[in-house]
Amino acid sequence: MSQTIIEARGLVKRYGDLEAVKGLSFAIRRGEIFGFLGPNGAGKTTTISMLSCLLEPSGGTAIVAGHDVAKAPDAVKRRIGLVPQELALYPTLSARDNLDYFGRIYGLRGRGLRQRVDEVLEMVNLTERARAAVKTYSGGMKRRLNIAAGLLHRPEVLFLDEPTVGVDPQSRNAIFEHVERLRDEGMTVLYTTHYMEEAERLCDRVAIVDEGRFVALDTPRKLISDLGGGIIHLGVANGRMDEELLGQIQSLPEVKSAARSDGRIEVETVHAQTALVHLLELFNRTDTTITALQVLEPNLETVFLRLTGKRLRD
Amino acid sequence: MIQQILSTTWKDLKILFKDAGGIATLFLMPLMFIIVMSTALQGLFHTGPDTQPTRLPVVNLDRGGCAAQVVAALGDVDGIAVETTWEEEVLTRKSAEALVASGDRAVVVVFPAGFSEQIEARVEDDDVTVTIELITDPAVSVQLIAPIQGMVFGAAERVAETQIAQARIAAGLASAFAELPVEARPVPAQITIEMDGESVIDLKQVAPAEMKIEVDPDTYQQNVPGYTVFGVFAIVGTMASSILAEKRDGTFRRLLVAPLPKPILLAGKILPYYLVNLIQIAIMFGAAHLLFGLAFGDPVALVTMGMALAAAATGLGIMIAALGKTDAQTSGLTMLLTLTLSAVGGCMVPTYIMPGFLETLSRFTPHAWAMAGFQDVLVRGYALAGILPEAGVLLGFAGVFFLIGVWRFRFD
Repeated sequence: MSQTIIEARGLVKRYGDLEAVKGLSFAIRRGEIFGFLGPNGAGKTTTISMLSCLLEPSGGTAIVAGHDVAKAPDAVKRRIGLVPQELALYPTLSARDNLDYFGRIYGLRGRGLRQRVDEVLEMVNLTERARAAVKTYSGGMKRRLNIAAGLLHRPEVLFLDEPTVGVDPQSRNAIFEHVERLRDEGMTVLYTTHYMEEAERLCDRVAIVDEGRFVALDTPRKLISDLGGGIIHLGVANGRMDEELLGQIQSLPEVKSAARSDGRIEVETVHAQTALVHLLELFNRTDTTITALQVLEPNLETVFLRLTGKRLRD
Repeated sequence: MIQQILSTTWKDLKILFKDAGGIATLFLMPLMFIIVMSTALQGLFHTGPDTQPTRLPVVNLDRGGCAAQVVAALGDVDGIAVETTWEEEVLTRKSAEALVASGDRAVVVVFPAGFSEQIEARVEDDDVTVTIELITDPAVSVQLIAPIQGMVFGAAERVAETQIAQARIAAGLASAFAELPVEARPVPAQITIEMDGESVIDLKQVAPAEMKIEVDPDTYQQNVPGYTVFGVFAIVGTMASSILAEKRDGTFRRLLVAPLPKPILLAGKILPYYLVNLIQIAIMFGAAHLLFGLAFGDPVALVTMGMALAAAATGLGIMIAALGKTDAQTSGLTMLLTLTLSAVGGCMVPTYIMPGFLETLSRFTPHAWAMAGFQDVLVRGYALAGILPEAGVLLGFAGVFFLIGVWRFRFD
């Protein structure tokens, strides 16, 4: 069995003159949780829509579970499950009625259907409330049911599109546990989010997406370690942000690099706290007035900021 | 595939029957209209705007001059516009029947060939009755016909009585004075002629030859189909909002990721509402039968009309769902179409009392054809063959609506 379950080459999606996805190429291994991390509008949902045969690619190819999304969409659809960003449920029906209907759409019938509905209800801890109308559920319960509906037909690949939007921390943790259990059972999960904590905690590998392009793709640990010990943003009094000062900063211990950025000095460090001590000593010695100071800890948010110059939730 | 359609149908029916507001709109509202309006409007059908004269076509086959006098007298009545020609041709019995059958006129007066001769015969023999025919559409309310009957009867009775009186006076004088010398004869003012006091004129109401049953329609035969058609088209709003909810909540997106062809999904979204329409029609007519004793007429024809009507209504529903992009747009379009089409199509007020242009306009609505078809069955006693034109037009409307709906339909 091939280790690669999703392979995209030069995937493009255009809407008129707008290019929402700009030639993405990547491969996802069977049984991994692969994250798409990026702000709203980065092209994550569009990419998932192409991989799940909802949208036809404008260019490039994608093979999912051994089948081309453009040439054999039905074969792909039988092997994937989608948990859309919206709560794609019928609120006046019960959880069991919702699952019963979605199961029938996938061809499940009779006893097999009932058993599978029971299993997924158990999996997302909703057995006791299975007969209550979905509209009476909490946000977290609805999200869990939303996931359960994507699992009924035992897909090889599960697309989770921002599955924790609007969920309280407790329910979010429960969702993380469900997703990790699915991965442990051998399912491949493509997980889109704009929460860097989720990508860091859950994903085996993360693609950082911005304006339809990947700006980085690696394990969260590698992406963060490449960043070093964090970033320090400094504002200094007018007239002091010159090449001489930048040179002095760059020569300090624990500093990897320094550059001007949007009227500030951005300092990449090996260890932010130690570098900060050296910076303060330098500014005292050169009589430089600090007007702003911000220490950014090393995480995916900082990686994104470093790579795109923007914050994830801008 | 069939299983997927039926699963979607069953799911939508469950959702619909859990929605108390939707049930009230689809079932209780038209039922209440039927009960309240049928009872309230009993005997109150208006004969038309005061400013608009009632158009009264007349076929004069009389070989003498009496019918012409009645026609002239009718022409002098305020609010009556006598018509003796149609499209520049003198009216004949056949063309008059066609006018009534087509719904262009509600009633036509026919003076038979022997009208004057019958009046002359009555002078000698009180048992002779003078007949005038009123060709009417049985579906037209008795409240509209009654005033016309009164005016025709009154005018004809006056002419006939005058003719008979004059003839009898002349005959009486001739016989009384024949044996007296001229100087001994009394002045005419002193002579009394006794009339028998019984009506001379017999108004005979008939339906056009191709209409089978000659019965007066009642308020239920107008209001039951009227508000049933109105209620059936209320499905448009329910259907459109259900489809919008599927788009908005992302359930269409989830379903389209399943191996479910779009036409199957669409069929599954249409079928439940078609079934609901049939249930509505069965409940409305069933209730009217139980509460008011409404006679169904030919069951095959009635069911055919119901199925054709439901097709047109669900077709309009899918078209509105396809054209409306937001809840506001859809509910606006729904209100505009369901209320306007119902009013213009004769669901609330019969089309025959509408001004000419509105009556013409009504023929562009499925509602008018549905009303005509139901009244063909309920009032005129038509069987399947008789309602095929109306059912055909309704299916034509359904076809056009479906084509536009499917063409413009977007799942996202």
